[in-house]
Amino acid sequence: MRIAIAALVGALLATGASFGAVQLANASQKDPVIKPLYNYGSR
Amino acid sequence: MGERTRHLVAALTGLGLGLAALGPGLAPGFVLSYDMVFVPDPAFTSMTFGLTGVVPRHVPSDAFVTALAAAVPADIVQKLVLLAIFVMACTSAASLVPSRRLLPRLAAGVCYAWNPFVAERLLLGQWALLLGYAALPWVVAAAARTDEPGGTRRLTRTLLPAAIGGFAALTVTAIAALTVALVSGRPRGGLRVAGVVGALSLPWLVPGVSRAGGVPGEGTAVGLFAARADTPFGAAGSLLLLGGVWNGETVPSGYGAPVTAAIWLIVVVGALVAYGKWGRGLPWWRGAAVAGIAGFAIAGLGAVAAPVLEGAIGLWGGFAVVRDGQQYVAPLAVVVAAGLGLAADRAAEARWPGVAAGAMAAPVLLLPTLAWGAAGELRAVRYPDDWARARQIINGDPEQGDVLVLPWASYRSYPWNHGRRVLDPLPRYLHRRVIVDDAVTVGETTVPPEDPRSVRLAPAAKTGAPPAAMLRAEGIRYVVVDADTGSIRPEGEVAEMLRGPDLVVYRIGGAASAAGDGVPVAPVVVGWGIASLLVFWSIPAPGTTLSLSLLGSIKPRRPDDRRRTP
Repeated sequence: MRIAIAALVGALLATGASFGAVQLANASQKDPVIKPLYNYGSR
Repeated sequence: MGERTRHLVAALTGLGLGLAALGPGLAPGFVLSYDMVFVPDPAFTSMTFGLTGVVPRHVPSDAFVTALAAAVPADIVQKLVLLAIFVMACTSAASLVPSRRLLPRLAAGVCYAWNPFVAERLLLGQWALLLGYAALPWVVAAAARTDEPGGTRRLTRTLLPAAIGGFAALTVTAIAALTVALVSGRPRGGLRVAGVVGALSLPWLVPGVSRAGGVPGEGTAVGLFAARADTPFGAAGSLLLLGGVWNGETVPSGYGAPVTAAIWLIVVVGALVAYGKWGRGLPWWRGAAVAGIAGFAIAGLGAVAAPVLEGAIGLWGGFAVVRDGQQYVAPLAVVVAAGLGLAADRAAEARWPGVAAGAMAAPVLLLPTLAWGAAGELRAVRYPDDWARARQIINGDPEQGDVLVLPWASYRSYPWNHGRRVLDPLPRYLHRRVIVDDAVTVGETTVPPEDPRSVRLAPAAKTGAPPAAMLRAEGIRYVVVDADTGSIRPEGEVAEMLRGPDLVVYRIGGAASAAGDGVPVAPVVVGWGIASLLVFWSIPAPGTTLSLSLLGSIKPRRPDDRRRTP
């Protein structure tokens, strides 16, 4: 039983940690447009 | 099922397609993409009517939007206009199919409302051109019946969306309508078409020819705006498939993959064969076919015979109108859609409902990335708060003087618009005369500016630090910097009125009166008057509505009509 609880808690922590890491990475990313572009497009 | 119910189902199908295509663009805010610029609370200014001396490509579409925005918020107006394009396109094309069955009519409607032409022009933001495109099937049908009682009025009504669209929409539509009228053996019909189109063109034609710079025409831009291959079948093959827009960035993602492009080619060729085989009894059959071929030839001119087009533009700048060739495949789209509908009708008659249903679904299945705002490309955004503050300051100032926008470029990729390119909205956003760079840069090539004031100010504005004294003498009271706000600033004695992350406003005291580059007002008023009178004349007596008379313009085929078809 204790092993099952430990596994569940471990899985939840791992999920939380990975979710948090992804959120952190996303939040730290800048907008892909860094410099205004003035073209009307390209062929 | 009655005729009106069939029209209603087609209209609802078009609405469904529009909702699917716009997706996130239907959220509150504005969709800003390339030439598509809508702003909150637009006002009637001299620019709205092309009186400032700029080339009046936005006349009268801007006036139409401004009038609607007086009653409905402008972002809602934009969504209604875009949805109306899909509703009209589906309904008008469906009405061309002379069948009492619903599925074949919807096959034509879906094909006409959901194809590469619509996707690419929508991404390019050319909603005004698409307005004319959406009503083109009605125009084709009406142009073949101008000699019937009420024929000219009907033609005028069907031309109304193109007239609202303005220069490009009316040119494409006029070529198709004239061809249909003349090929249908109605020289008088051709005269009527020319007369109506001429009168409806007056709102943009008069300011266009009376502006100081005359008719612009830059021969070097032929290569820039010529059709380009967006499928494995080359530029001509791509045009045949209703794609081939010049701008590689406005091709829907995934379009042109070899397998789906090959299937789409089979669908298009099959539709053309069906049109040739089963459409002969229709009054506009020959005219629409010739219009489709002529449109295809014009569309390919820049890609196949660029020197010819350059020479023609050299002779008269007005030929520059065919520079952006792909827009002229619109009549071919009518033929393809009608052909697909005819094929679906034959399939349904032969008790192959699966084939008929497949014909209806094929355009959507082969171009799924038009859905959901062209796969997320079209998203609604709100203008930053800085913009509203700038407008408050500038509109609230009683002193005269114009606005100069920097950086000196016509298109922007604002971070708040997810980096999507858009024509600078400030000339429409502010209620003063706004001078922007109207030169167009594609890749490494720049088409020179057309606005005389832009031409004069360009050398100083390009530096990023134009002298305040020179701007003052040119009648500039405000300089608005809406990108690169940290590095661009007029030089000399200026007051910083607003500084925000998205916009900076500088004021220059004592602006002189601007040089008069505007066009005379009286001829423009007369032009609007004539066009308005024609529109009012065309509207039927009370008891009917414009939409119903448009919908009712196409008679369903009688059951015995099939017998006359060879």
